[in-house]
Amino acid sequence: MPAEEAAIDAEVMKATGEPAAKPAAEPVSEPAIRAVGLVKRFGPIVAVDGMTFDLAPGRIYGLLGPNGSGKTTLIRLLTGMTKATEGHAEVLGVRMPSRANLARIGYMTQGDGIYPALTAGENARFFAAAYGVRDDAAVTEALTLVGLADRSKSVAATLSGGQRRRLSLACALVHRPPVLFLDEPTVGVDPLLRVQFWGHFRALADAGATIVVSSHVMDEADRCDELLFMRAGMMLARGNGADLRAQAGTDDLEAAFLQFAGEGAVAA
Amino acid sequence: MNPRRLRALIGRVATEIRRDRPSLALLFIAPIVITGLLTFILREGDTPEVHAVLVNEASGPGALVGAALTTALEAANVTVVEVADEATARGLVEVGTDTLAIVVPADLATGGQIAIITLGLDPAGEAAQMGVVRQAVSTAVIGVTGGHVPVVVHQTVYGTASDDPMVPFAPAIVAFFLYFFVYLLTGVSFLRERTGGTLERLMATPVTRGEVVTGYTLGFGLFAMLQVAVLLAWALGTVHVPAIGPLPEFAIGLGIPVAGSPLLAYLVVVLLALGAVSLGIFLSTFARTELQVIQFIPIVIVPQFLLSGVLFPVNSLPAVLQPLVAIMPLGYAVDALRQVFIRGADLSVAALRLDILVLAAVAVLFAFVASLTIRRDVV
Repeated sequence: MPAEEAAIDAEVMKATGEPAAKPAAEPVSEPAIRAVGLVKRFGPIVAVDGMTFDLAPGRIYGLLGPNGSGKTTLIRLLTGMTKATEGHAEVLGVRMPSRANLARIGYMTQGDGIYPALTAGENARFFAAAYGVRDDAAVTEALTLVGLADRSKSVAATLSGGQRRRLSLACALVHRPPVLFLDEPTVGVDPLLRVQFWGHFRALADAGATIVVSSHVMDEADRCDELLFMRAGMMLARGNGADLRAQAGTDDLEAAFLQFAGEGAVAA
Repeated sequence: MNPRRLRALIGRVATEIRRDRPSLALLFIAPIVITGLLTFILREGDTPEVHAVLVNEASGPGALVGAALTTALEAANVTVVEVADEATARGLVEVGTDTLAIVVPADLATGGQIAIITLGLDPAGEAAQMGVVRQAVSTAVIGVTGGHVPVVVHQTVYGTASDDPMVPFAPAIVAFFLYFFVYLLTGVSFLRERTGGTLERLMATPVTRGEVVTGYTLGFGLFAMLQVAVLLAWALGTVHVPAIGPLPEFAIGLGIPVAGSPLLAYLVVVLLALGAVSLGIFLSTFARTELQVIQFIPIVIVPQFLLSGVLFPVNSLPAVLQPLVAIMPLGYAVDALRQVFIRGADLSVAALRLDILVLAAVAVLFAFVASLTIRRDVV
């Protein structure tokens, strides 16, 4: 077990009085994503407060925490979109920020981040070109995956909210990245589409992709291989849903989160 | 009307504006700055510097005119150089700055006309200089000829004096409106890119900021080039439409005469437009809303309008403002277009080469500055 994880476990033990869950992943020599003492401050505000972890390839990680807990900032640190105040992040063994490495990373932002005046196909093709992908098959594949192949010629502004969300996902997948960051991908997405999204995520992970999904919806948590509970820029606990529930002595993940968060959160 | 609901609406509007600091600043500061600048220009405008080249062809009593004129001009702070003939004088006007020639004809006593010859590139500025000279000429000549008021005519080295009133303004107006619209188009588009989340998304790809700025500049540049082509065709061309049925014959296009190559004029405005694209990208950094992009107009566009010789001749601007005049990109475009439109200058003219060089440098510099505003770390 890497030293960082041991440190986290020690912290979690201190916080919970119980042994932390062992990561369910078998030890892999090279983590897909690594955070080493990541700190991000915006003036007096500490958005990410010293996070250290390794994430193994081919798994889906759920980044769970309330609004403002630092999930988006953490993702932006991991993708190199913002500079760490302290510590550093590595993706696929490359220290971020690295422009070249971005070709191997997919990032679906919280906002749709698509061009409303372009068609779905034009949006996907534009991002494919930006990622340096030449073959048009990748564009068709990404649009097919999110079920928008038949809307390829529709102008993005005329798509429904759910369809725009799917297009946004397609634009993040179009270069078949081995590492995928999805910032609240299912916000505003209806339950049916949500099930489809998770189906896509699972299929991608089975094909070897490492996926980090942030969410504040606890009922999505069990679809992840492993959960990272975040609060106030710190990792509260890590493990799969069952382990975390067992540790907290509850069969409700939400209650488990509050348990890990301490009394303050329980009162709130 | 329900007073409570009304109060809520008024309160909400007031709070929104109060929170929008840039808008608030613009609301109060911009009108003060602009009206102040305008008043300053109008009130404190300096008497333009004038150098006169005097040609005295008159003999007999007319010869006295030369001496009287020199005295009167020098009293008005005009330096006077006397030369032998008109050709020499025209040559000096052509190479000198702020120089005009005064030709006193041989037949002055018998009704000959005094000619004032200016360069003709900056009609408004030259009119201001002529105002200074005209006064001195009248005083001096009336003193010598005893009440006979000589006719003073205006000639120009380039173009024809007092021909079409649109001619002096056409180059400036073409340049100004192009600059204005290209800035607006780019500023708003790029702001959408920043606020719509697509820039963040784009920065998560291996695209470099240099590529973004160059891509935008060339993309918008394409439309700017089309716009310029249409605008120049409209300004310079005249298409006569013959009478159709009850419709009388009419012409489309402003039909402004251009002495030089329209292609050279095209090059000048394209360079200006490329600079405006980068300016739009750069300023969009400081705007949060499209309204704020528009609010930069009083700060960025209006001073250029006032200080680039579009309306107010540069040589009559207060001396304090002269350093600002030198840094207005629009001013170089206005001058370059006048060189091409009126003088018919080609690339062998040093003044035009300098203008083009400055415009190109400004375009490159602003593109560089604009690229610095596109950072991965946008929050």
